Amino acid sequence: MNRVFMLGGAQTDFERNWKKEGKGMVAMLKEAVADGLSDAGLSFEDIRALNRENRVACFVGNFIAEKYTEQGHLGAFLTEVDPAFYGVPSARYEAACASSSAAIDAAATKIRAADYDLALVVGWELMKTVDSSVGADYLGRAAYYRKEAQGIEMPFPKLFGKLADETLRKYPALDEKRYMEDLARISCLNYANAKRNPRAQTRKWFMNLDQANSRGTATNPLVGGRLAVSDCSQVTDGAAVVVLASERFVRERNLSGKPVIRGYGHRVAPLLFEKKMDEGKASPWLLPWTRQTALDAYRRSGLTVEDIDVFEVHDCFTSSEYAAFSALGLTEPGEEYRAVESGLIDFNGKKPVNPSGGLIGCGHPVGASGARMLLDLYRQVTGTAGGYQVPGARNGMMLNIGGTATTNYVFILGR
Amino acid sequence: MLNIRTVTVIGVTGTMGANIAGIFASFGNAKVYCLGRDLEKVRKTIPRIVQSVRADAIAKNLIPADFSMLETCVAESDLVFESAREDMAVKKEIAARVGRVLQPHAISGTGSSGLSITEIAECYPAEKRGRFFGIHLFNPPYMLPLCELTGTKYTEPGTKASLKAYLRDKLIRVVVEVRDSPAFMANRIGFQFINEALRCADQYRDNGGIDYIDALLGPFTGRAMAPLMTSDFVGLDIHLAIVDNLYENTRDYARETFLLPGFAQGLIDTGRLGRKSGGGLYQQVKYENGFRRLTVYDIKSGLYRDVIPYVFPFADKMKRCLQEGDYAEAFRHLVNNSSQEAEICLSFLLKYILYSLYVAREVGDSTGAADDVMAMGFNWCPPLALYEALSTAADVPALIRDRLPEIWEASDAAALLSDIPPSQYDYRRYFKSGRLTK
Repeated sequence: MNRVFMLGGAQTDFERNWKKEGKGMVAMLKEAVADGLSDAGLSFEDIRALNRENRVACFVGNFIAEKYTEQGHLGAFLTEVDPAFYGVPSARYEAACASSSAAIDAAATKIRAADYDLALVVGWELMKTVDSSVGADYLGRAAYYRKEAQGIEMPFPKLFGKLADETLRKYPALDEKRYMEDLARISCLNYANAKRNPRAQTRKWFMNLDQANSRGTATNPLVGGRLAVSDCSQVTDGAAVVVLASERFVRERNLSGKPVIRGYGHRVAPLLFEKKMDEGKASPWLLPWTRQTALDAYRRSGLTVEDIDVFEVHDCFTSSEYAAFSALGLTEPGEEYRAVESGLIDFNGKKPVNPSGGLIGCGHPVGASGARMLLDLYRQVTGTAGGYQVPGARNGMMLNIGGTATTNYVFILGR
Repeated sequence: MLNIRTVTVIGVTGTMGANIAGIFASFGNAKVYCLGRDLEKVRKTIPRIVQSVRADAIAKNLIPADFSMLETCVAESDLVFESAREDMAVKKEIAARVGRVLQPHAISGTGSSGLSITEIAECYPAEKRGRFFGIHLFNPPYMLPLCELTGTKYTEPGTKASLKAYLRDKLIRVVVEVRDSPAFMANRIGFQFINEALRCADQYRDNGGIDYIDALLGPFTGRAMAPLMTSDFVGLDIHLAIVDNLYENTRDYARETFLLPGFAQGLIDTGRLGRKSGGGLYQQVKYENGFRRLTVYDIKSGLYRDVIPYVFPFADKMKRCLQEGDYAEAFRHLVNNSSQEAEICLSFLLKYILYSLYVAREVGDSTGAADDVMAMGFNWCPPLALYEALSTAADVPALIRDRLPEIWEASDAAALLSDIPPSQYDYRRYFKSGRLTK
């Protein structure tokens, strides 16, 4: 089996509002693709040359441009980026907020199978084309829309509010106040980390523990059960590009020091939130299929949690990040509070989580987030993360979920 | 890191004072004495301060106070920030009062946007002058993180370094050290551009004047808001104070461009300062049914009329390119078009690059400082990034020599352009198409 190398990539500045700039998806794709290729040491001429021998393909991750920008057939849009993409195989992959992980998965598979030598993964979403309540309704399609979202204001905050309720129900020893304060700490940690990331959406924003604990005030209103605005990730415009390559390509070009995808996991849990919780009752983990996804990745890589130096996890809400700690093996199930309260996951802790700021701090253009996470792992394990570099990171793990932890993807990138 | 636990902000009912109190109370997590002339007005300002950083949690840090309590507040403070009216006499009086009771370890500063920091420092007792600084922030500071930090000949270097670290790391500011000079760096560069645009509007009054010039220098040229719209937003009174100061106290090649045109003085004399006074260069007309109409002052007729929806072929082409993300092509449309409008537009951008480099050399400590101040204080495409942007379409020094021969000589452009460092900013986000078909 061929190994899958990562050559580089790029992320647009998540602070940008492309509607205000008067630019659309093509403009965003042009910037992200040009930057991603350049970071990987490639040019459009390289794409042309590789394509003459059918050695390159593109994988586009996007959740729901049909709604946000009235556009489908997204795989074909790379031909609008540059004529070098004429004739290059390309298609769009969709798995809600895990869309670009599905694209990475497909790209990695094609490289492992030696079908192609170079794969360009482009994840993107433009979300500021509509107001927040319309956008929230669109995102409801990541759940079972008719049964869980239709006609409900802000369906996803409510579903992840329910996840918080379920956490407290499952672990009766967990004090409610302690739990809510830990969720506030998670929020603050992500905001604080984002301050070091020059591409993070919230890098100028203010958040502190007091504010994150002031749920239900005018500036931190409740949006989903017990969860408030400070517990939510952001509405973001953005794209992330990841360039993957075969061992043959890396050897041809004499590239050294490039990390490899060492393992992955991909599991799909019951779609409906209630079924998911019912099915998981017997398990010590709140999200057993998320746990299984991590176990699969560890098994495939031959690594354990001890080997992982840095994590990027799916904090679409603080309650989902909380549940991720035990799923990834950072704590025992039911003891996730230890990860927060001991400083384990702090930027300077033993197991830093979301040094980028995560979805809360860095931003969450849903179709781009998986690719953005892998790119951040790449920066960490190649020592190129700049101000948010975790010193000496060799292996990184990401967890990207779609819906209410329905689609689960884990990748391990390392040297 | 400095341990700033208590701050007094003097002049908190003003826009800047309120916003700065919000920054100290939030990022700084300091107890802030919010001091104004009228205690009732200060109380009414508190919700505005909370809103400025979108955080109810800071309300408990904000303590209303009036001038009778100045000595008590200051004596308890680690940092005192004066944000009073831009009037030297007022600032001196406050400095003297603060200086009498300021604790020896405490730092003090003024938010003045252009008065002599040294002169204010001299109102302090000799042993406290070394800890007094110009700390100039931009409005609104929550969105514009620039902070121009100015010392004097009395400055204690160690204090300046630790204040700089505090402003940068705790208050999340982009700190640029500037010499004590008229209007410091950002406003000198920005208002050179804006006032020259105002003078140009006068010169081209037969073409439409104000809206004509704004249509040439709008968002597609690398800024969120056209320059004369910006002046209207800031207010012609503030605009005048800045350019007067620059005209009186600078001696560089651009000095004449700081003279306010007569029509603008006329607007000021009749109280038409801008948005805050219900009209100025522009006037928003509101109807009972909620409809709004933007009108503009027609210099030629002296009356307000509807803004003209100008269509200039070069600008239209640029906007179409920007919409598609074709930046180099957009800039080629600009540099290769010989219409009067394209030439005016390009000359403004080239002059902006040159004057920024010139001012950075004169009052800053690096060329990159000009980039920081214009990106973080004005949200304009910063000069070095603009240089890179235009370089995708043309040889910029050759262009300047060709289009602006007089300024090339006067500004010593050859030297200024001899060693241009790469910009730390991405020019692409600053150029907006101003149109979007979904």
